[in-house]
Amino acid sequence: MADQAAHGVGGLKYDHSKRQRPAELNVLIALFLIVAVFELLGFLIMDQSFLFDSAGRFDSIFNEQRLQIIILQVAIVGIIALGVTQVIITGGIDLSSGSIVGATAMIAMSFAQVAEVNGFPNPKGVFMEQGWVDLPVIVPIVVGLLCGLVAGGINGLLVGYTKIPPFIATLGMMVSARGVAKWWTEGQPVSFPTESYAAIGAGMNPVIIFLVLAILFHLVMRYTVYGKHTYAIGSNEAAARMSGINVQRHLVLVYTIAGVLAAVAAIVLSSKNLTAQSGMGVMYELDAIAMAVIGGISLQGGRGSIVGTVIGALIFGVIISGFTFLRLDAFYQEMVKGAIIVGAVVLDQYRQRKAAARA
Amino acid sequence: MKKTLIAAGFASALLGSTAMAQQIGVSMSRFDDNFLTVLRNGMEEYAAGLDGVDLQIEDAQDDVARQLDQINNFIASGVDAIIVNAVDTSATEAMSAAAEGAGVPLVYVNREPINVDTLPDNQAFVASNEIESGTLAAFEACKMLRAQGLGNGARGYMLMGQLSNQAAVQRSIDVRDILGTSMCNFITLIDEQTANWSRDEAQDLMTNWLSSGEEFHVVFSNNDEMAIGAIQALKAAGISMDDVVVTGVDATQDALVSMSQGDLDVTVFQDAAGQGSGSIEAAIALVNGEDVDQKVYIPFQLVTPANMADFMSAN
Repeated sequence: MADQAAHGVGGLKYDHSKRQRPAELNVLIALFLIVAVFELLGFLIMDQSFLFDSAGRFDSIFNEQRLQIIILQVAIVGIIALGVTQVIITGGIDLSSGSIVGATAMIAMSFAQVAEVNGFPNPKGVFMEQGWVDLPVIVPIVVGLLCGLVAGGINGLLVGYTKIPPFIATLGMMVSARGVAKWWTEGQPVSFPTESYAAIGAGMNPVIIFLVLAILFHLVMRYTVYGKHTYAIGSNEAAARMSGINVQRHLVLVYTIAGVLAAVAAIVLSSKNLTAQSGMGVMYELDAIAMAVIGGISLQGGRGSIVGTVIGALIFGVIISGFTFLRLDAFYQEMVKGAIIVGAVVLDQYRQRKAAARA
Repeated sequence: MKKTLIAAGFASALLGSTAMAQQIGVSMSRFDDNFLTVLRNGMEEYAAGLDGVDLQIEDAQDDVARQLDQINNFIASGVDAIIVNAVDTSATEAMSAAAEGAGVPLVYVNREPINVDTLPDNQAFVASNEIESGTLAAFEACKMLRAQGLGNGARGYMLMGQLSNQAAVQRSIDVRDILGTSMCNFITLIDEQTANWSRDEAQDLMTNWLSSGEEFHVVFSNNDEMAIGAIQALKAAGISMDDVVVTGVDATQDALVSMSQGDLDVTVFQDAAGQGSGSIEAAIALVNGEDVDQKVYIPFQLVTPANMADFMSAN
């Protein structure tokens, strides 16, 4: 009763007890807890610190090499997750990103090959006969981005205009795009890129590309009409339509952006590995979705942020590096990863129910 | 009545025409694997050079159930022989039983079926013996490390393939066996992990290992792709490739180029095309009722910078 009075007529008065910690903060706390566990186990089992430079190998207090690999190994899937996050915020899902990575990597890399390897003609040259070798780096980049644009655009058109569930539309693309990846060279890997193409994913470049794109899309989602419409559609599609948002067109845009981000990931991945193979990117879509979900993006749509996804990606990276650090087998890593994905959603649901009960 | 007769006539005409050529159904575990693609191409090229051999190749997409369905479909459509590159080498009994029940000859290629010792008379197995591959590579690395004066103690890592795969398991056992011999027991493994045959995963795994700052001298890898991934990680960390011995298996084009640049030290050539053509040869012999060895082994060959030129266009 007293509580009601404190709200005033419209219930608009600020009530401290109703204030929620942002979901991202919870995820960040989880990240620190996981790091702390590895730090503790490191001292108990390995006699070495997980994150800090306990052996005096670096000029800083941190084990820089480990900090780098933690984020480097999730940067490429992280780029995909930025697009997947936007799709999930609209209340949709994108299962096709891993296959788009495979197809785009194969096609883009075919336009990035050198004519000669060690004085011999490139043994993996796809367009040797046409003479499309040693092309400027812009060619494979544009071709690759176009692949993502087309694949993502088809997803968007299917979801927006045919009204089939996103799960089915992107499942179709997942199967078809993988078919394209295998058909392109009949399963043969495409290797030996030009130096300028190889430079794209060299060193810590994947991390820089990931972070720049993350900041860009964080700003876009927060401060632009595009972002507001994306959240509006995910919260209540009917209401968004009634308020004058062109939902169909907006969905095409969101899925296209997701496709293009998958293509960026493909270019970075094939450049980092100096090869493209038709099996590349298998299961990446699920890792990307898991990163978003761990980061507090609700699969019901309308809730979550790019910041959450970035922290979700970091949690993935910490787990991979942590288990290798402890020299534990990959099986345990998979088991723990699965448990964390489910655990994150259970906690989030619990928090939402509690918040709903308080309101 | 007339219609059925015409239909029957058509059917027999069709059957008659296909019976001229020998139909061989092939179920590959996957189409997107580098090595298996060379093997598949080896089959196609060999079959194209033969008169009246028709191949129908299908992709089991690493799915055991799908593969068994494909085999049953081959039997139902009346192929003369079946070649299987098994998805799961412990799930081959059902395939052998299905083919035996229908009286269709069956040849397993590349991956050793679990029932290899109890195969029916009209079934065979064509592959290379995995005990050779890991052993050849590990022993050569051991000799190299000794020659570098590390005979008093050397340390290393091992990158393993998919742990559900018999070749990965066997190649890893081979390495451990070599490291157990008195000549090579100066080498100790710091850690062994799977990178699922993948260059990208191996690159990340190697960088994770490097971040622990352990001293090491050798990296054993179950295949070339992972060896190349490790090399990329080592180079990115500024480690000279003269200081680390890296071994692979397969002798792929990428690996040979890496070797020619002085990065990869040892690999082992597995004759993919030879296995492909060998499996067709065995299948045809079985169809014609000829005597066939039930285990046909195509030998592995050690590849080092000294003889790598011989393998440049092989796989």
